[in-house]
Amino acid sequence: MKDRLLLLCYAAAVIAATSVHDPRWLAGGLLVAVALAGRQAPAIGWRALRAVLFFSLLVTVGYAAGALFGQAVSVDYLILINIRVYLLIFLTFVLAARVDLLRALNFSRDLAFLATLALSQIITFRRLFDDLRLAAESRRLRRLRLREGYLQSAAAAVHLFDRAEHDAREIALAMRSRGFFQPEAKGDARGG
Amino acid sequence: MHVPDGFLSPQTYLPAYAAAAGAWAYAVRQLRRRVDETLLPRLAVLSALGFVLMSVVLPLPGGTSVHASGIGILAVVFGPWITFAAVSLVLLLQALVFGAGGITVLPVNALAMGLGGSVAACLGYRLLTPVDERAGLFAAGWLATVVPAVLIAVVLGIQPAIAHSAAGQPLFFPFDLAVTLPAVVVPHAILGVGEGLLTVLVVGFLRRR
Repeated sequence: MKDRLLLLCYAAAVIAATSVHDPRWLAGGLLVAVALAGRQAPAIGWRALRAVLFFSLLVTVGYAAGALFGQAVSVDYLILINIRVYLLIFLTFVLAARVDLLRALNFSRDLAFLATLALSQIITFRRLFDDLRLAAESRRLRRLRLREGYLQSAAAAVHLFDRAEHDAREIALAMRSRGFFQPEAKGDARGG
Repeated sequence: MHVPDGFLSPQTYLPAYAAAAGAWAYAVRQLRRRVDETLLPRLAVLSALGFVLMSVVLPLPGGTSVHASGIGILAVVFGPWITFAAVSLVLLLQALVFGAGGITVLPVNALAMGLGGSVAACLGYRLLTPVDERAGLFAAGWLATVVPAVLIAVVLGIQPAIAHSAAGQPLFFPFDLAVTLPAVVVPHAILGVGEGLLTVLVVGFLRRR
């Protein structure tokens, strides 16, 4: 319940942050978010900065460059957009640190189940992909030609497809064997 | 291609959520009709596959590289609705767990990349495959990159017109369509060539077995 409530608060904060156009209010919101982050604030702050830096810098420099071509450039706008973007990503990282997402999504059993399964599979697939990448790098004596690079990427993708098919079959079998798909057993199998 | 949080106005993302909710409901109905009880595990695994396909390297001339999107491949192999559902789930998890993209841009990214990209990929594939299958696969990969780029460029480009202060200053994304269309679409039209080649190779490998 607590996680679901925090997720709702996050959604409300996001809507508020995009509805308020006064940088002072947004800066105040950022201070509240920093307070909520507690001891994790510096780490979250740094992570948020890295996440927004490229796109924000691109927009800021592009907008400021308009002054070179005689366009009206507003410093207030630059302050507003940068605080807003940073506040939103900071809030997202605070949410990720403070909320158990799978519990928060529990209002829909199918969605919670889907998210749990997808997250566990993402971890498995990422590890597999890293293994494939490291294996390919350890066997490489020179930089790959363009064609070789494409063939290597395609081979990795095909391997991932095979693994996906296999895992989907295995999980479905495991679920069937535990009675997950029988309507009367559905609630029990899902812990409901 | 993801737009980060903070650049889209509520006038954009709230209607986009309404549109995406309708599309998600339709996608789930379509999938329940076509896929048996294994829908949930299949969708979860395909979402993970979609997530990791976005890490596959797309080599560029000169030794550099970018990441693929894999949407064209997923759309050709599994169809547009399951791709849309899987990409939406990937975007949700990326936004809430990994902090990439964002919750306000989720419906726009899902509609543009998951639905626009996969429908365009399937249409391109079906139109060109009778002529030459490889051309159809290439078109699928290229369109799955370019169509979302066009949609996102349009959404970004209309922000100054729909969300500005009384003084006419933008409140969200500052550039109009004259800037966003070439800035977003041209690079993606070039990257789409790589995505098209990868789609030809991957689906070709899968079909030959």
